[in-house]
Amino acid sequence: MHDTPLIGPYNPDDMLAWQQGRPRTARQFLADVSCLMELLPDRPTVLNLATDRYEFLVGFAAAILRRQVTLLPQSRASQTLRRVAAGYPDSYGLTDRGNPIEGIESVPIQSGRGGNPWPREIPRVLLNQVVAIAFTSGSTGRPIPNKKTWGALTAVAHATGSRLGIKGGDRTAVVATVPHQHMFGLEASVMLPIMHGLVMHAGRPHFPADIRSTLDDVTGHWILVTTPLHLHACVTEGVSVPLGGLILSATAPLSRSLAQEAERQFRTEVHEIFGFAEAGSVAERRTVNGDQWQPLDGVRVVQDQSSCLVYAEYLPDPVHVPDRITVDARGTFIVHGREADQVNIAGHRVSLGDLNQKLLAIDGVQDGVFYLPEEESDLVTRLMAFVVAPGKTSEDIQRALRMHIDPVFLPRPLVCVPSLPRNATGKLPRESMNELAREWLEKQDHGA
Amino acid sequence: MTSSAVSPLEQDIATLIVQTLKLKVDPATIQPGAALFGDGLGLDSIDALELSLAISQVYGYQLKSSDPEIKAIFSSLRALAKAIEKNRTK
Repeated sequence: MHDTPLIGPYNPDDMLAWQQGRPRTARQFLADVSCLMELLPDRPTVLNLATDRYEFLVGFAAAILRRQVTLLPQSRASQTLRRVAAGYPDSYGLTDRGNPIEGIESVPIQSGRGGNPWPREIPRVLLNQVVAIAFTSGSTGRPIPNKKTWGALTAVAHATGSRLGIKGGDRTAVVATVPHQHMFGLEASVMLPIMHGLVMHAGRPHFPADIRSTLDDVTGHWILVTTPLHLHACVTEGVSVPLGGLILSATAPLSRSLAQEAERQFRTEVHEIFGFAEAGSVAERRTVNGDQWQPLDGVRVVQDQSSCLVYAEYLPDPVHVPDRITVDARGTFIVHGREADQVNIAGHRVSLGDLNQKLLAIDGVQDGVFYLPEEESDLVTRLMAFVVAPGKTSEDIQRALRMHIDPVFLPRPLVCVPSLPRNATGKLPRESMNELAREWLEKQDHGA
Repeated sequence: MTSSAVSPLEQDIATLIVQTLKLKVDPATIQPGAALFGDGLGLDSIDALELSLAISQVYGYQLKSSDPEIKAIFSSLRALAKAIEKNRTK
């Protein structure tokens, strides 16, 4: 089998998506895709920044059928977009109406118009066609591209669905709080529903009250694709949701106590996905059952002396796992934490080396370093930065940094210091940094 | 700026923001008209989520991103205080 259909088991008038209070049938979807295809310029790559999940899907599908690759930048920060676009100078943008991207030629996505008849055959896509590129951060300050084939995205969708026991065509609605441009969001909130004939909700609820009203909005069973942060917010707020759901969390480790509380309060199972942009979703667990991760069908995680690798038929080469993990004899594994140079804040992963490069590139910065404080019990730990920049204020440097890095990585606080505690070889030992941070925090507590 | 005097409610909310988000700034230095997100205090969507919980617990007002005014509500301390004043249940 060299190609597979663009969408899973839908009849023409089955609901494929729910968009702003209106159903979108499979027939409407294919018509929307075919209309948009005609409007796309003849370019190899596209930045699809639609905020509406249905419009994103229409744009994604139209690009695939035009053999164009969708670029998935790490954030919508203007400099990130420009840097990605600069690497692919023939790119154009796809956006919601009236929301163009500054400095990049953009086409607005139009949906809900065409009245085309159901095609004789659902369009098919080659399994080895590269349909998306997800960017990750290297240590050099330049985004690293990770190519995603149609075969990889569909294999992960099917493996996730079979692990979760999803039955095709039962009209389960998939609601997601995660962005669809994020790898987990693309896999779990877009590919998972359309490969199983489910209903994809086009919205992106953020606050607990939104999540509750969105789940009230859908009829029948639901799957909530979310993060520990949103789950924590819903549990704290005491949100009540309709029966018949399943929760799928990723982007950061979920504590067992939060999973237990969520299962009790929402009367549903809470499952977690372990994955990362380079490999996509890799393994699953029901958090309350234990720490062990079970690789998805078709995925093998192998440990050797120095590192761990993910193998799957759809990955052209084995992929290095950016976490410290231990694999047991059965092939299941435990995750201990991020590798030393890696930080993950709310699902955004970056290497500290990359952030340091960007800090040092700022005009007037003589020396500087990002620092991840010792783990607290909080869900989100923010970075700190120590900077040597005579004549500059921390506000000046923050303003310059904001142009280059995702807001979640902006240091809190950014501290200007006369010098950094570099040792004789020019390195910054972790203990010296811990000491510097501790001194600064103590001074704040006493001084301010 | 027309009125820069900080109301007691604005003061309370500034303190709530600083405590909830563990910011290393003096609440009194938050300008009521200045941006909370982006260029001003530099908050992001994670902060918005945490802040929404605190506001719900203290004032009984549940923020919704589907509210067409949501961007305006979060635009500044003053705008947030007005929205809380109008919608608070405690």
